Formats: sequence, C-alpha cells, structure tokens
Amino acid sequence: MAKQEVFGKKPLQILEKIRENLERLNEKIEVMIELQKHTKKDVQMLPEAPLDVMTLLSMPDHLRKTAMTVCRLGRATAEEIAQQTHRARAVESAYLNQLVIMGYLKKERKGRKAYFYVDRESQG
Amino acid sequence: MGKIITVHSYKGGTGKTLLSLNLAVTLVKRGKKVCLLDLDFRAPSLSTILKIEKAEGWLNDYLNGTCGIEKVLINLSERFQNKGELFVGLANPATEAIRDISAKDRKWEMRALGRLLTLRNSLLGERGFDYLIFDTSPGLQYSSINAIVGADLVIVATTLDRSDVDGTRRMLNELYDLFEKKTEIVLNKAFLDVSSKSKREEVQAKFQEIYGAPLLGVIPCFCDVLRAEGNIVFVQERPEHPLTKILDEIADKIDNMP
Repeated sequence: MAKQEVFGKKPLQILEKIRENLERLNEKIEVMIELQKHTKKDVQMLPEAPLDVMTLLSMPDHLRKTAMTVCRLGRATAEEIAQQTHRARAVESAYLNQLVIMGYLKKERKGRKAYFYVDRESQG
Repeated sequence: MGKIITVHSYKGGTGKTLLSLNLAVTLVKRGKKVCLLDLDFRAPSLSTILKIEKAEGWLNDYLNGTCGIEKVLINLSERFQNKGELFVGLANPATEAIRDISAKDRKWEMRALGRLLTLRNSLLGERGFDYLIFDTSPGLQYSSINAIVGADLVIVATTLDRSDVDGTRRMLNELYDLFEKKTEIVLNKAFLDVSSKSKREEVQAKFQEIYGAPLLGVIPCFCDVLRAEGNIVFVQERPEHPLTKILDEIADKIDNMP
C-alpha cells in the first residue's frame, strides 16, 4: 500500500507541474496576443512608473479600467478583477500582465495563483 | 457598506464647501453617521467655517503617512446634536502646509491615492460610517482627482457662468467619464425660477441636455446665504430656510440611490 502511494504520487506531481507550466505559458501567449492587438504605442516600458491619477487618465480605456480596479481592490487575481470589470478572465490576465510589463503593477505568485498589486511603498 | 461622495467643481467659488458641509449636516439630521473631509489643501476653509484652530492631526499628516486617520477625525456630533453623528477631518490652513503639499511629486500623489482608497475599508467598513464626503479643490488638482477616483458619486457644483458651464462639460467628458464615475450636477447661485414642480422639471430637462448628466438639485442665489459670510450652517440654524429644504431633497435623492 505504502509502495503504491509513493509510486502513485510522482505522476500526479508531474501532471500538476505540467498544468502549472501550461497555465504560465497560456498567460504569456495571452499577453503576446494583446500586445499585437493594441500595437506597441499603448505598451511602452516605463521602469518604476508611478501609477498616479494623471497616468490613469493618459492610459487607453481598456487598461485604465483594469488599473483602476487593482487600485480599488489593492491586491487581486485576474479572476477577481474580471468579476469586477465583467470581462473575461483571460482578457484581464493579458491587461494585468501588460501593466506589469509597463512598470505600473507588480506580480507575485502564491502557489498556483498570481496576485497583482500597486507597489506604493518601494517606489521612491 | 456606505458611500463616498466627492464634491468637485471646475471653477472656484461655486459653493463646494457650503454644499459639502450643509449636505453632511442634512444627512446627520436624517440619522446618518457622516465623515466630512476637507481635501482642498490649496485653500482650506472648513477649519475657519467650523472655527476649529487646532487639530491633533491634519489630513495632510494622514496623506504624508505620519499619522492614522483616527488622529485626524474630530467628533462634532455634540455640537450639532442631531440624530446621527458628524466627524470632520481638516486640511492644515497654515501657509507652510499649503506650500508643502503643492510641491509634492507624482510618487507622493500615488501613495496619497492609496491612503485615500484605504479609507473605504477603515471608515465605511470598520467604523461603520454611512457617508464619507470629500470637499475638494476646483479643477484638475491632484488631490481632487484622487478624490474623484475614490468616489462612488461625484457631485459637481456649477454656476451659470459661461466659462463654468463650458469647463464643467469638458470635465464631464474628459475626467468623470474616463473614470466611469456616477456624476450628478448641482446648479448653484442660479437666477432661475424653480418655485413650482413644473418649472423645476423644465430646468431639469434643459440642463440634462446641456451637460448630459443628471441634475441633482438647483440652489437659487440667496442673498442671506451671501450675507451670512460663511458663519452659519444653514440647514442646522435655519430649518425653515428654502436652502434647508433643497438640501433635504438632495439628501433624499442620494439616500435612495442604489
């Protein structure tokens, strides 16, 4: 019985790992698709850019909605943001990752979940 | 959970502070727990109107991160003796404090936005306030836009002055709409006949068309309000004054908003 558990666990762990990697790959593909959709002018790298209200005002509408929701919630997953904006989780995931690339948001992984937040303390 | 109301305007002198304070007291009279915060850091006036010279902490300190909001709030419930409760948070009127806050950079403003947004949980959530009212500076000031971002409802005080009407329309399209904020107009100092229901509906329809936003109320130009020189909280001291009745109607509409 003990032997079966040892042998039985390994494939499960491997499958779990494959699933995690596929999810990350999926997120990256979503970002690439969104980057292509909105062309490069919307997505410029600004290292340590402060997400202040003037920045929010100058953002394209689709990103402003996501950024404002993160501001309001403080820290949230793509799923939680999607519930607020009534857009698809995959779409929010792409926008959130764009905002991370642009330097406005930070992303932190906890297990299988990715949390997005505004890092107000470390900037400046 | 309660609501955050931001009172804003395009131009100065439109009556934001008068509206904020009288609306706050009207809601308190209706048994609500209200917190009025003066975010007009460029020209603080609530401390003068309420004749409060010293505070344990100012809102400037709270946004600077040097004190908690509990040090800023002053309980005025006994002074106004109504069914509800009234707390205020004041902007520091000292010239040095005004200069200091005018020189803040974008990163500070970003943190200030964060601290303002946390008031939803701390005041509406934990302390059970029904309403948080932000009185702001006119125009596109950082502190005012922060307050707009944090609001559930933006009340725009405007007059019939042409430049004010144009500026308000621009802000409706280029500011409040971009942040997807529920916005209502209060037309103040108006020389319009709103004595009957049909006249009020006529004015309502006309201004709804001009602004493309609903009209929350029309406050005629009252000479006795001007004569009072900011020394009277009208809705408290003059319960029979027409201004008190108009504010009551406005509060009623706000109270019944989803």
